[in-house]
Amino acid sequence: MLGKLIKHELRHSARYTMAIYAAVIVISAVMGLSLLSSATWLGVMSCGALYLTGIIAVIVTLVSVIKNFYDTLFGRQGYLTLTLPVKCSSLLISKVIVSFIWIVASFALMALTMIMIFFYAKEKSSGYFSMMSEAISLSGILELLPSASTVVKLLTVAAIWAVITIFTYVSFVYFTVTVANTRAFQSHPKILGGLVFLGIFSLNNTVGNMLTAYLPLSFNLGNDTVYFAFQQMDKVQDALFSYGVGGTVFSGLLALGLLFLTGYILENKVNLK
Amino acid sequence: MSIIHVSSLKKSYGRKTVLDDINFEIAEGSVVGLLGPNGCGKTTLIKILTGLIKDHTGTVRIDNEEPGPYTKSIVAYLPDKSYLPDWMKPKDAIGYFSDFYADFDREKAEKMVRDFALDENQRLKTMSKGQQEKLNLILVMCRRAKLYVLDEPLGGLDPAARSFVLDLILNNYAKDSTVLISTHLIGDVERIFNRVLMISGGRLIVNSHVDEIREKGKSVEEVFKEVFSYAW
Repeated sequence: MLGKLIKHELRHSARYTMAIYAAVIVISAVMGLSLLSSATWLGVMSCGALYLTGIIAVIVTLVSVIKNFYDTLFGRQGYLTLTLPVKCSSLLISKVIVSFIWIVASFALMALTMIMIFFYAKEKSSGYFSMMSEAISLSGILELLPSASTVVKLLTVAAIWAVITIFTYVSFVYFTVTVANTRAFQSHPKILGGLVFLGIFSLNNTVGNMLTAYLPLSFNLGNDTVYFAFQQMDKVQDALFSYGVGGTVFSGLLALGLLFLTGYILENKVNLK
Repeated sequence: MSIIHVSSLKKSYGRKTVLDDINFEIAEGSVVGLLGPNGCGKTTLIKILTGLIKDHTGTVRIDNEEPGPYTKSIVAYLPDKSYLPDWMKPKDAIGYFSDFYADFDREKAEKMVRDFALDENQRLKTMSKGQQEKLNLILVMCRRAKLYVLDEPLGGLDPAARSFVLDLILNNYAKDSTVLISTHLIGDVERIFNRVLMISGGRLIVNSHVDEIREKGKSVEEVFKEVFSYAW
């Protein structure tokens, strides 16, 4: 059943984001065509549009996660979703997986638009575009990169951090929307839901920042190496970059707890209007 | 054997009690009318039976189980509002039901969509309210469910449409199943009921076989008018 839930969830949520993905394809095509033309303005315009579309894709996706969750569970479509012969936990897991897929896709799309703009600028290499290209190469990013194995380790840690961050956002949203639609909150769901979100967000930030700073567990980038140390981030010697992971671990645990709580509320306290 | 068992059911919204000490059982194979004026608690009771409201007290059993995934697999529920997303087409909705309900008869649904002149490729948002209601009813009645729960299937329909909907229900429900129909339009449906439940102010005030009512020389509609005369 989980597979079917994911399939239908993907179909339902795709309509929010597909227009953005189509826009990227169209703008990219215009950009490609502008390479053949001498009209600089066309390239500048399409680069700007592509940049904006990449950012809009992320924003639209993050908003659609909220809207899709509300519509399918607490809007009139909730009558369909909540009477399916599946456990609420399966519903929730399918929604988390699909939200995760769309958020990752939107960030990937944003990265792709930046890469496209970079290569486009290199290809044009004249006037405005050469300035852009030079600015990018002057930043010397490529020269600063460590060895391949260190890059892989860095990317792995970054991926884990990204997964936890996305998971945290999704669980905060799901918990807030669910709590806002319980009987106790139904009189002013938007205001009270907003306060709940603010409360969780503040808790996560306050406790997270304290743990990041003071918990003796840190991730460190040394001279062509990465390692974890049981030390506070500001007490690690010989590290080019040091980051306390206590806050991220706390966010992950908080997110997991909120997701279980969301499942419990859906299972036992649902009160469809 | 009873398909629905409800005892000491109570549900409140804040200080307002919507259902108060409801007790009844419904045997398998009956067609039951859940009657009462608007706002008497019919829809709340139905939402509890279908698992859409959980924060109540008392016991509710459908086929000896608490409302949950099993009961949802044997209950075909028609809400009092359109519940399919606007972007769906009839063929999408049929695919959806076919994926989730083992008792859904896909061929029958496709045939009925054609027979009732619905375009399987037309999006719901471009359909009329009547067309959407037809599709909702087709989806529900194409399940071979143990229990059909239909919330106000006749609400807002003209007499011709009411007759059409009733025929659709009567001709398509699995004959050994139980049908619970909530309505306040008694005249049109009284002929099909075996049993009636009447709710007033959140309390079950009539729970009777239709034959018992008729033995007293009355129709269901007459009893309804007597019971709810205060409401008009």
